[in-house]
Amino acid sequence: MPITTSKLTRRGFLKLGLVTGATLSLVGVTLGVTSWVTNQTASGFSYLRSQDIAMLKAVLPVIYAGTSNPENQPAQLAASLTMIDYNLAHLSPSMRKLTLQLFDLLTNPITQGSLTGVWGAWSAASPETIQNFLNRWQASRWTLLNQGQAAILQLARLAFYSQPSSWQICGYPGPPNLG
Amino acid sequence: MAISDVFLEGVQAGWQVHNASLFEKDQQLEVDVVIVGSGAGGATTAEILTAAGLRVLVVEEGPLRTSSDFKMQEATAYAELYQEGMARMSKDGGISIMQGRAVGGSTLINWTSSFRTPPATLEHWADKHEVSGLSEQTLKPWFERMEKRLGIEPWPIAANANNEVIKRGCQTLGYDWAVIPRNVRDCLSLGFCGMGCPANAKQSMLVTCLPATLQQGGELLYLARAERLTFKQGRVEQLECLALDARGVETTGKRIAIKAKHYILAGGAINTPAILLRSQAPDPYKLCGKRTFLHPVNFSAAQFVDEINPFYGAPQSIYSDHFQWQEGAAGAMGYKLEVPPLHPAFAATILGGKGQVNAQRMAKLPNTHMMLALMRDGFHPASASGKVELRSDGSPVLDYQMTDFTWQAMRRAYHSMAEIQFAAGAEKVFPVHNQADYMTSLAETQRVIDGLDLAIHRARLGSAHVMGGCALSDNPKQGVTNSWGVHHQLENLSVHDGSVFPTSIGANPQLSIYAIAALFSDQLLKICV
Repeated sequence: MPITTSKLTRRGFLKLGLVTGATLSLVGVTLGVTSWVTNQTASGFSYLRSQDIAMLKAVLPVIYAGTSNPENQPAQLAASLTMIDYNLAHLSPSMRKLTLQLFDLLTNPITQGSLTGVWGAWSAASPETIQNFLNRWQASRWTLLNQGQAAILQLARLAFYSQPSSWQICGYPGPPNLG
Repeated sequence: MAISDVFLEGVQAGWQVHNASLFEKDQQLEVDVVIVGSGAGGATTAEILTAAGLRVLVVEEGPLRTSSDFKMQEATAYAELYQEGMARMSKDGGISIMQGRAVGGSTLINWTSSFRTPPATLEHWADKHEVSGLSEQTLKPWFERMEKRLGIEPWPIAANANNEVIKRGCQTLGYDWAVIPRNVRDCLSLGFCGMGCPANAKQSMLVTCLPATLQQGGELLYLARAERLTFKQGRVEQLECLALDARGVETTGKRIAIKAKHYILAGGAINTPAILLRSQAPDPYKLCGKRTFLHPVNFSAAQFVDEINPFYGAPQSIYSDHFQWQEGAAGAMGYKLEVPPLHPAFAATILGGKGQVNAQRMAKLPNTHMMLALMRDGFHPASASGKVELRSDGSPVLDYQMTDFTWQAMRRAYHSMAEIQFAAGAEKVFPVHNQADYMTSLAETQRVIDGLDLAIHRARLGSAHVMGGCALSDNPKQGVTNSWGVHHQLENLSVHDGSVFPTSIGANPQLSIYAIAALFSDQLLKICV
């Protein structure tokens, strides 16, 4: 069945479109001169900062929903965060900078709410709110949001499915043993 | 079974292989010829020039990884062996671009398909781009030479189930199909060509032309980025390189300056124009980096009752050119049909969807087949094309703009792929697009395809073939290099990689690059020696 964008999502997009244009240009100015965000990396990570981790801990389970038994989730989430950090370490400096800027938008008190609809702490956001945010960004006519959504999903999927713990879910026996 | 790591053994036996990340001070080097890039173009050139007695240095930006490092793991292979850690994409993020970046270049991670340049492409270059001397006849001995060198022959073993779908569907419909020639020897049919061949069966540059170059006294410098060329009186004076850290990501601050009699760029069709742009090389007609092509690809997934196991077996062994030349080279855009291998992480990024949708698609991975259509871009004025630009840090990015003409071809390709998949017995077909999902009838699939909003970030697009940007042409107003790959404004500079193609090839480009680099090298020897 083809998936169609719901009316609700389209209204959401319109509202979002009005705010984001102004907000993003504001952020472009403010982030450059004021340190709204901590650039301190979280303990045990090379690039991810504590606010990125809090956001990812809320968003990744929504992306991964339906893929594993609840008891495996904490370990898989931790492994995915490690993997995302490893992948960030191997991105070109420009692509890494863009990715961290995207995380800044998602965690900066000024931009987070208007861009995502998640107004409080990420840890308090419901899965539905997060799902709506990802759907809106995907359906947006604004390429930057499409691109941001695609980047989050890409990072999330690569991190998850490159781990042996995910292979059983997708019936992949793993690489052959060459002895 | 122990597999010998031929490259490491050579290094231990005393090959001149230098790791720039370890340099503690700046270096000044002087050779006869310096070649930037160790992939298809660079390594082929290096072997021929060293055999003729020239002192050759190959400079590679990526790390050195050899067969004992190749563990068939997506987790490390993509991060370590691909440009920008597999995150290279068009400027608007609409097209993922897969290019290798390690000693051996893209030959290390490609899927081994080895086609001669289609004669219609060569004729188009001669007719429309003032390219001379590159005909089917003049290239024939060079194709034969490289096919022999790299063990290229049509895959003699039965196709895996993923490839078999193209054959079965095309046979049912009466469409053309054929077996793909591959550059392998003693292939174990593992299916992990894209993560580096652990068996040294793939005849990549790592096990062929680079060892030969080093055995003949050539040298290799890796983890060194060619930053810029300097010029003096219409000639290249020097190549300046920056040493990179062990990951190949950050510069270490150490510089390597290389003087040579002749300079050859073979860094691939984004990085080669970027070096020229960073160097502000003479470009009176503003051609450098323009007309860059991607063979942009759209995808169609299908689920079968029987297992396909798309992660095992030779990744590409069957193709169809049925829709490639239907309206001639310059008519409506043609496309080539092939399949990609599907390992979990790669499959998940293409199949898309979140939560339950993605989980359900991925749960059926063993029964999933994927087909792709490579658009033959660059032959028609309304074709999509790209332009290499520099970011503020000097790194390149490709601004590739889709066009209606190209989208129309993609819509036709969605139809062709779905038709072939259902004809091959697919239970469900999914034209890979945000507005579509798996469907059980051809009629419904056709209706949905006709209604798809074809736009970037809606249709999932990828590319593994970057071509153009330093086009060949006898006319300096049309091409950056002449028909032998020599720069029109700089007589001691050549380009020997896919960036010299005036259009896309219309086939996976590695054999075109090997043959043209070999021919250009032979021409160059007539000047140099």
